[in-house]
Amino acid sequence: MKPIDWEKAGPWIVGTLFFSLIIVLWEAAGRNDLAVTTVMPPPSEFLSMVVESGFRVGLGSQAASLDEAILATFGRVFAGMALAFIAALITGMLIGLSRYVTWCISPVLYVLAPIAPIAWIPLAIVVFGINNGTAIFIVFMGVYFILTIGTLAEIRRVPEEYLTVSGNLGASKWQSWVWVIFPSILPGVFTLLRTNFIAAWMAVLVAEMVGLRDGLGAIIMMGRNLFNNELIMFGMLVIGVSGFLVDRILAFIGKRILWWRV
Amino acid sequence: MNSLRTSHQTAQTTARVQPQQVFELDHLTVNFPARKGVVPSPLQSLNLKIEAGRITTILGRSGCGKSTLLRALGGFVKADDTGGVVYKQRFMDGPTPEIVMIFQENNLFPWLTVEGNVKFGLRFRRDDTRDKAQAVREILKSVGLTDAATQYPHELSGGMKQRTAIARALITRPRVLLLDEPFSALDISLKRHMHTLIRELQEDTGTSMVMVTHDVEEAIAVGDRVLVMGGDPAGMLIDENTTDPAMRDRYSSDYLELQKRVESVMY
Repeated sequence: MKPIDWEKAGPWIVGTLFFSLIIVLWEAAGRNDLAVTTVMPPPSEFLSMVVESGFRVGLGSQAASLDEAILATFGRVFAGMALAFIAALITGMLIGLSRYVTWCISPVLYVLAPIAPIAWIPLAIVVFGINNGTAIFIVFMGVYFILTIGTLAEIRRVPEEYLTVSGNLGASKWQSWVWVIFPSILPGVFTLLRTNFIAAWMAVLVAEMVGLRDGLGAIIMMGRNLFNNELIMFGMLVIGVSGFLVDRILAFIGKRILWWRV
Repeated sequence: MNSLRTSHQTAQTTARVQPQQVFELDHLTVNFPARKGVVPSPLQSLNLKIEAGRITTILGRSGCGKSTLLRALGGFVKADDTGGVVYKQRFMDGPTPEIVMIFQENNLFPWLTVEGNVKFGLRFRRDDTRDKAQAVREILKSVGLTDAATQYPHELSGGMKQRTAIARALITRPRVLLLDEPFSALDISLKRHMHTLIRELQEDTGTSMVMVTHDVEEAIAVGDRVLVMGGDPAGMLIDENTTDPAMRDRYSSDYLELQKRVESVMY
């Protein structure tokens, strides 16, 4: 048997052990009827509740299966992030190509950027209705401005030599954009996307709590309305674990696919 | 204000430029635009002829204007309308794919392999009918990088990086190669290896090369002609023909004598 590579396995082993310790303590607190566990029921209680209900959350005809809720939230957050990513790159490109566009767009960007995504919810509901459109829009607004400002910073960081080289080898301004600037900024903007995933994730949950009736955010709200603390805890756990998994996936893409740094 | 460059002036220039010259600097003045007016560079009304099919090395202290001169030759900086760089019997007004520049660093795109970087040189050349894969293989062989074709820039040594950059420049078959202190980041043994390589490549391809450096040994070892630039406005303090094979021997008396003379002017 090969000895364990501690550098590689260490973080996973220690992390898992510590996480398990928290669960054990939480369970022990529940078994001993500590006061806090009435609002924070231990995992065994809320998990068994969910298993008993056949992984369906909600009442009567409004009940949705858990996988539907997860898929709905994931779909919204990914759609919003993907659109914001593409839009930020396009905005960055337009600003990079024309100073008139810079003069027009820059003030608008910096005025809209500080507005919290949640503040857009009332407007979005009127425009898109209570549906996916609203949630995707909220996620979009949550990350688009940060990504665009980040994209502009990344474009400024592209070494001048790269552009001289490409121009020198016969690339037009547009070709330099596609073959040089775009690959130069892609990893940096993607890292920014990953760090802003938390913002996107929160934005979609709030949208689901306030406006929409499905998704992971809605589970929490349903738990609150029904005074069902098990449901709230379960919702929080699923949100946390899902967020963790997505972050790992994004980290993997950043490390393995968009690995280079300029 | 291109009107100052009259047809009369161009005609005069045409008559003056000999076919063996690749560049003629005709009262080259470079001033950099600033918020208020301009910031003058040391290049003020500079005249110089640079021969084709040879390696010209330009030495000088930092800030003497040698890099600006190289950029002007590449068409990357704009000359004042009172003169300029004459290339192919016309004043240059911008970069051309026939003149390729190599920098000290940041030459290679980190997301492409050695092969990908070299192939990038041909990406925008629609008129090039060569088999691209074959052309890449041949050029990589000539710079000794066949085995490193699939490696990425961060996996390469400094010398390999610069060889890749040279390969990418040469695959386009440029008329002129401009080198801006390309070997300054390399250690002494690698530098000497690169000097030999660049001379071999020049002899094989006949490309005109202009190299800017602050390394006296490098300038003499590589150049067919060594220029030492200095003064304000800048001029050529030394202009020496170094085609003599004795100049390739760094222990020969001719070499040492020139080195001493150059150093006395530079330091």
